[in-house]
Amino acid sequence: MARSRNHEQWTSPPPFTSSEYVDSRIYSDQEIFEEELEKIFKKSWIPVCHESELPEPYDFRTVTIAKEPVILTRAKDGKIRAFLNVCPHRGNMLERSPSGSFLDGSPSGNPRHITCMFHAWQFDMKGRCIYISRQEEGYQDRLKKQQMGLRELKCEVYFGGFVWVSLNDQIDMTVEEWSAGSLAVLKPSLDEEPLEVFHYHKAIIPCNYKLWHDTNCEFYHDYLHYHNRITGFNDAYFARKNTGFDNGHINVGSFEVQYDNYEGSHSREEISFPHLPPNHWYMIDMFPGVNFNLRGSSLRCDIMTPLGPDKVMIEFRGLGLKSDDAVTRRARIDHHNSIWGPFGRNLHEDLLAVTGQGAAMNPRAEKRQILHGRHENETIHDENGMRHFYEEWGRWMDRMPSNPDKPFAESAGA
Amino acid sequence: MSSADAVRDSIYRSCMYKDDMEWEKWLNLCDEDFQYSITAYSPEIRNDMIYLSGGRDEMLGMMKMLPKHNSDHSPLKRHCSVYTVDLEDDGATATAVSSVVVYQTQLDGINCHVDAGSSNVFLVGRYFDKFRIADGVAKFVEREVKLDTRKLDKGTHYPI
Repeated sequence: MARSRNHEQWTSPPPFTSSEYVDSRIYSDQEIFEEELEKIFKKSWIPVCHESELPEPYDFRTVTIAKEPVILTRAKDGKIRAFLNVCPHRGNMLERSPSGSFLDGSPSGNPRHITCMFHAWQFDMKGRCIYISRQEEGYQDRLKKQQMGLRELKCEVYFGGFVWVSLNDQIDMTVEEWSAGSLAVLKPSLDEEPLEVFHYHKAIIPCNYKLWHDTNCEFYHDYLHYHNRITGFNDAYFARKNTGFDNGHINVGSFEVQYDNYEGSHSREEISFPHLPPNHWYMIDMFPGVNFNLRGSSLRCDIMTPLGPDKVMIEFRGLGLKSDDAVTRRARIDHHNSIWGPFGRNLHEDLLAVTGQGAAMNPRAEKRQILHGRHENETIHDENGMRHFYEEWGRWMDRMPSNPDKPFAESAGA
Repeated sequence: MSSADAVRDSIYRSCMYKDDMEWEKWLNLCDEDFQYSITAYSPEIRNDMIYLSGGRDEMLGMMKMLPKHNSDHSPLKRHCSVYTVDLEDDGATATAVSSVVVYQTQLDGINCHVDAGSSNVFLVGRYFDKFRIADGVAKFVEREVKLDTRKLDKGTHYPI
């Protein structure tokens, strides 16, 4: 007989293996959060923006990884490089604008240079220190410009022009190797011709970053979305596969979305991305918090920047083909934002749901066991994607997701 | 009522109708060929963006679908000041620029026991409107809501 539960029953393990649920403390604990920044976000590859956001020499873009300010520059040689956005003199943040060009001078410095406004130290696009104000007077021959370059970070442009950065000098794999095949399903579509970002907005949400990643990894929550139920929920939808890859990444397989079933919505067939069957929809979720989501005519990318155990910044980008004419671009924007914009049908619903999870998971709240135990032959409502993620998370953190006080042990199915 | 007053009257009424979620009444202030959009300039990607757009019927259809969607029902209130009204020489058309600040009063968006009843600034921007004037009535033919705010957190299903 169905019944409610008392404390003991509520906090007892569910009738699952330990890989099929997690302790909600991993979504709220400050110590675990700080450890995640050190062990995961400072060690892996993170895509931070798209190359179209700094298209010309001397363009720059500023971002944050694991609380570290990062600046990306495009030098005269066309190469994009990444540096800590920190002056080596007194630790001031070098550039405070989200993006721009160093072609013009700044009040404290010359054109074509990164200038620290504080004491006018200047650097070039390759991170070399090229000017120290009153250098000889103050430092005599004790300090040379050659010793004061910026801290350069590993940086690659890969997968349709996304810019990836790692704070880890010792990372022993390329982005391609890191992706472990998870990007292959969309690579032909994204690499066929240059892409361009047409949409950007951000949300700072009071929930743990993993809750947003979970939502991107599982489609059982399509019960939340009227749009997805009415345009999906047929045999082809329920046959979509969730596939795990090394390093904690997953793919969600495609099917043909019936856009016409939603009033006011139309087929995306005429402006599908290259090599993508009409109205198909693929999803890639990369460890630890990145999502690529291609719905026929427009690509969405979510990049998560954890700000605290209960706070995450999510940057939402929409991309089309750089060669788009005005009419095509407008159609892509409409397709993207009618679902995924800040006033769109689905994104608001997803954000509402995770906000509710965050609000119900205080650090000292009575333990919740978050269930990832659905098995449906690794199809769309199976929760194997989340299980795959948490297996990887446990490995990097050396903590059991179901009991984070215990060291990690491989699950039987791993 | 002068034509300029008719323009102001339509702008303020549109705010009240939207505040009260009287979507049909709002759209009745608009001509058949009305076009609505919410736009913003992103200094991140250094481009103009269109967050939402649609004609009169599309907006009405979208609003009628809301009961089928899960939404944050926290009401939005628009504080609007009409800055300029410029009448064309033909006397039949006008443009107007207004400042708008939208406040959100929490209802069911987060934890209602703690948050319900608190108000916060949801967004800041301007209305750029175009009107057709006939028989002393100014009907919207175009509204562009140009946002300064780009960190919209949960967002909303409601037009601004």
